[in-house]
Amino acid sequence: MYASMSDSVSVTPERAPVAQPPPQPPGRRRRVRQVNVHRRREARTAYVFLAPWFIGLFVITVGPILASLYLSFTDYSLLEPATLVGLDNYDKMFTEDDRFLASLKVTTIYVVVSVPLQLAFALALALALDRGLRGLPFYRSVYYLPSLLGGSVAIAILWRKIFGTEGLVNSLLGLFGIEGTGWVSDPDTALGTLIILHVWTFGAPMVIFLAGLRQIPQSYYEAAAVDGASRIRQFWSITLPLLTPIIFFNLVLEVIKSFQSFTQSFIVSGGSGGPADSTLFYTLYLYLKGFKSYEMGYAAAMAWVLLLLIAGLTGVNFIASKYWVFYGDTK
Amino acid sequence: MNPSSRKKMWTAVVVSAALMTGAGACGGDGGGEAAGGDKVRITFAYWGSDARQKLTDQVIQKFEEKNPTIDVEGDFSNWDSYYEKIATKVAANDAPDVMSIEIRGLSEYAGRGALADLSGKVPAADLDQQVLTSGQIDGKQYAIPTGVNAFSMIANPSVLEKAKQKLPDDSSWTWDQWIGLAKDISGAGGVTGAEYNPNPAWLQIFAAQRGEKMYDGTKMGVSAETLKAWWSIHQRLIETKGSPDAAKSAEIGATGPEQSLLGTNAGAMGMWWSNQLNALSKSSGQELTLLRMPKAEGASTSGMFLQPAMFYTASAKSEHPAEAAKLIDFLVNDPDAAGILLSDRGLPTNAKVLAAVKDKLPPVDQKTLAFVDQVKSELSPIVAPPKGALQMEDILKRNTEELLFGKVTPDQAAQKFLAEANAAIAG
Repeated sequence: MYASMSDSVSVTPERAPVAQPPPQPPGRRRRVRQVNVHRRREARTAYVFLAPWFIGLFVITVGPILASLYLSFTDYSLLEPATLVGLDNYDKMFTEDDRFLASLKVTTIYVVVSVPLQLAFALALALALDRGLRGLPFYRSVYYLPSLLGGSVAIAILWRKIFGTEGLVNSLLGLFGIEGTGWVSDPDTALGTLIILHVWTFGAPMVIFLAGLRQIPQSYYEAAAVDGASRIRQFWSITLPLLTPIIFFNLVLEVIKSFQSFTQSFIVSGGSGGPADSTLFYTLYLYLKGFKSYEMGYAAAMAWVLLLLIAGLTGVNFIASKYWVFYGDTK
Repeated sequence: MNPSSRKKMWTAVVVSAALMTGAGACGGDGGGEAAGGDKVRITFAYWGSDARQKLTDQVIQKFEEKNPTIDVEGDFSNWDSYYEKIATKVAANDAPDVMSIEIRGLSEYAGRGALADLSGKVPAADLDQQVLTSGQIDGKQYAIPTGVNAFSMIANPSVLEKAKQKLPDDSSWTWDQWIGLAKDISGAGGVTGAEYNPNPAWLQIFAAQRGEKMYDGTKMGVSAETLKAWWSIHQRLIETKGSPDAAKSAEIGATGPEQSLLGTNAGAMGMWWSNQLNALSKSSGQELTLLRMPKAEGASTSGMFLQPAMFYTASAKSEHPAEAAKLIDFLVNDPDAAGILLSDRGLPTNAKVLAAVKDKLPPVDQKTLAFVDQVKSELSPIVAPPKGALQMEDILKRNTEELLFGKVTPDQAAQKFLAEANAAIAG
């Protein structure tokens, strides 16, 4: 979605500012009109070329979004036509549905634990890589790899194997004489394995941190060194404050992304959110409601609650950012 | 932009627009008849493995040979995404003409008006009449059973022998004896006695042995007492190490027969549908034996039942109901079809067809057939469970897990299960 939005920005025809024509002889006026006609034609051409994107936007994105808003007020089984039920779905969600609240809890724990961990990890590695390491592009690519793979089905299956009773983790623990459990099939540890999976995909924020670190002028560090500031002191007083906009950016992005996590829990739990609902992500429950219980209206309502929730959180994030994010230009 | 280049541009736009609509038309179904002159085209949706897909393609070919005016398009998907696909297609008014459905989904689809009444349209006189009734809802024959399975105990005699244990007399054994046997096998070392799976079929059998129905109309018929007794079997198995602990069991339960203890020769006994004997035998490479389920103390019935492996149904909105019925008729009543499919969709219930293909069945299927014949007189009748039964497996599994992992007490688990299950089937 971000990609398509930026696309639209880049293809919007640039318009030169229209100069106020000063009083002129009739001959010149005609030329201006011709220029206007020309511009209009150009605009029309632009819209023709933009049409595929607009069609996509309205047919594939806006249309279904509005339809889901309508469906969220209905009882819709997929097999029969939808019937309006007003706010029943929303009401049921917060008053009767224990599993809804459970899924909200699981997802919140997942986001609150895994996002800070992931960002800390990404920042630590970015700092290490920023030391002018030889073969930096190689390491950067290697560490970025999990980000590309992390959301994939293959990795989720791998995860199930690694954390299984006879998996890699237990073999390693076995070397130390510790008897492990079935990590993914024990409700106390299953969510933990998913959090580790998420932290492991630190590559994307790491690359952004790396770019951010490069933006910090070397002269600050030199000045600090002259004043006798230690490395650690430099990190807290120079690196971190100047990096806050980047941290903020990563935070907003990762919070939005991890609230929508689906694949990991779907595959690792075999599509059930189990064991005992311990990995029941919000989106997974939404999917189960829509496609397994045939309550598509309810699922649509859940989608809208999620949207509002994420929008609200992002808003809170932005408001809070005033107090901790340091943009170089403000005092 | 000069006029000629403008013209070129518009030509390009028009051409590409035309191409796009053309492509769109190709992508859609085109209404059916468009493709092959006056041939009628119907779609047939089913789920399963690659092996089933190959067999089904052959059957479709055979059908088309016999009915040159009908063109059948197989619509295959794997089990995990099957119902999503079907539900979405029904919602889009594009339901397949013939759909495979299993018993738990029947009430959902029939009750919501997605299925056509097949009474009198598909000849069913030769089919097992008792099994046939399981495809009826409110007296209408919405579904024709493809074949039958029985949920039963499968054991590996050679593993039992190694543990110095004997095959039990399955006509009289009790749950206590089964747990004891599992404990002794595990105790001998090397293998695990039994694996369990919170399958609703097992609960249904157990409830029937205690004189309770699983479903009573649109309410749960099974009592909290029975649930607790049933769960105590799980708990005792774990305590006595007759089966793996809860985490390991949950892990195995998430896989299929190939990775089960029985399938990997790591266990001696497990409960499976009789048609899974094939996969289990293949992956273990051993000769396995079908046994009756153990009984509750003093039970008057075995509680076991024959369940249709799946049903053939026709869409209520099909444009070609006659052709759809013809295909179903062919699939269940024609020996040629059964000669290809054999027991892929359960053992055929059409007596004539079964007699014709009996000798072609592989040894494992012959064994299953013999077993089914043997227990036939003890079986309970099967009725289609109510709407929402598709969720029963999930609900039962979740509550069983919560109990076995010590998150809730048996009383809480029973109450929670009944509340959730009742809500699911009432809705």
